[in-house]
Amino acid sequence: MRANAWGYVFGEALRSLWRNGFMSLASVTTVAICLAVLAIILLVAVNLQYMASFVESQVEVVAFVDGSVDRAATRDLEARIEALPGVREAVFVSREAALERLKEQFGEHRDLLAGLEDPEANPLRDSFEVRLAGAQYAAAVAGELERMDGIEEVMHRQDVVDRLLAITQAVRTGGLVLVALLAAATVFIISNTIRLTVYARRHQVGIMKLVGATDGFIRWPFFLEGLMLGVLGAAVAGAAAWMGYDLVVETLTAAIPFIPILEQQPLLGNLMQLLLVLGAVIGAMGSTVSVRRFLRV
Amino acid sequence: MIEFINVSKVYGETVALLDVNCYIDASELVFLVGPSGAGKSTFTRLIYREEVPTRGAVVVDGVNVARMRRREVPFLRRKIGVVFQDFKLLPDKTVFENVAFAMLVTGASRREINRRVPEVLEMVGLADKHKAYPHQLSGGEQQRAAVARAIVNEPRILLADEPTGNLDPDTAWGIMELLLEINRLGTTMVIATHAQQIVDALGRRVIALRDGQIVRDQLQGAYHAR
Repeated sequence: MRANAWGYVFGEALRSLWRNGFMSLASVTTVAICLAVLAIILLVAVNLQYMASFVESQVEVVAFVDGSVDRAATRDLEARIEALPGVREAVFVSREAALERLKEQFGEHRDLLAGLEDPEANPLRDSFEVRLAGAQYAAAVAGELERMDGIEEVMHRQDVVDRLLAITQAVRTGGLVLVALLAAATVFIISNTIRLTVYARRHQVGIMKLVGATDGFIRWPFFLEGLMLGVLGAAVAGAAAWMGYDLVVETLTAAIPFIPILEQQPLLGNLMQLLLVLGAVIGAMGSTVSVRRFLRV
Repeated sequence: MIEFINVSKVYGETVALLDVNCYIDASELVFLVGPSGAGKSTFTRLIYREEVPTRGAVVVDGVNVARMRRREVPFLRRKIGVVFQDFKLLPDKTVFENVAFAMLVTGASRREINRRVPEVLEMVGLADKHKAYPHQLSGGEQQRAAVARAIVNEPRILLADEPTGNLDPDTAWGIMELLLEINRLGTTMVIATHAQQIVDALGRRVIALRDGQIVRDQLQGAYHAR
């Protein structure tokens, strides 16, 4: 098509977007709600997964050394732990090293930990980070460690990881069902809006057919109107998700400095792209349904 | 230019046309007369393929439009202008835009449109009304605008379905003279009409339909058989 004809097609789409005022607003709002829900679900799911892998990447079993055991004896302890079946490696983490690590996690809030360098004040304990040959040994190794002399306490985080992964899975499945339902509703509402447009323009369409417009040419403005509704809705949802996530990240990191939460970028940029594509697809589907059923070209 | 070969058109139980045969040559002008429901509208609608015959062939410019594929129809329509009793102008567009619309949808450039539309408006006598909206025009002027739209793409055929049906006799004559002028320039023309005075005064070819059949086809005919 020539530029002239495209000008007409865009003009018509915009005009009827405006003329359908309330229905357009309703369509954009439902697209926005649907995609905002999707955005929330996705953001929660990726963060849960991130949290799970963060926890998983930490040591699988941690054994805290009894305060009465002196440093020389820990060598012997290390050898004994490494001799346990299923243990790949045991790494000794001194209380000083643990404090250093905690400072790193606190980042800019590290001054909260000031004054703890004094060995008397350091509340942390020496520990062994025990890496396993496989997750299946976790329970057995944890049991052996608990019985071992010089070990005060055993922490075993597989349960946390499992729970996080289960929650992630539930959020994902439930979310996808919800989003699918919302998407169907949105397609329906957009197709209704386009149906109104088709009705409002039936005379014009009749004349277009009469003077020899091709079916494709007749369809374009309707198709574009649906596309615009979808993309506008997606933009609204994207902007809301963007601002919302910024706010949540700021609030959470202010409250809990070392919480494992994904950085805004590139996460939000990717999310925005995904939403725009989905909005366009939903809009295009909605208008295609109506153009097929009501335009009869 | 237009040929009907054994054409029948049936809507459910109603027979609109029954075994119609006729030939209309290029540049010819034909009045289609007959009582309401005789099949005049169906006759014209078959030519621009708004309808498909139940049986038979409708050959337009060498092509049987009855067997034409859907996507070829727009290109047939660009060769045929159509004028109706109720004008069918778009109320929210000016006269210029209404006429330009017919060119726009066929992919004409802005330049072609700006050259051709004033030319056509001049020809139908609406040059000074190009900015007016349809509701600001008289019936005759609206029909002139519709004629301008029908001929703007320089069709080889012009079909008119009771073009003067909504107009007073004087205005009707004005429109008919405009159509005659367009025919003189070489456009094949089929005019379905009830305007007895005009048909009788002009003495052109008349095809009379009754109950879906051609009952009379005269080269220098009148509205009623003599």
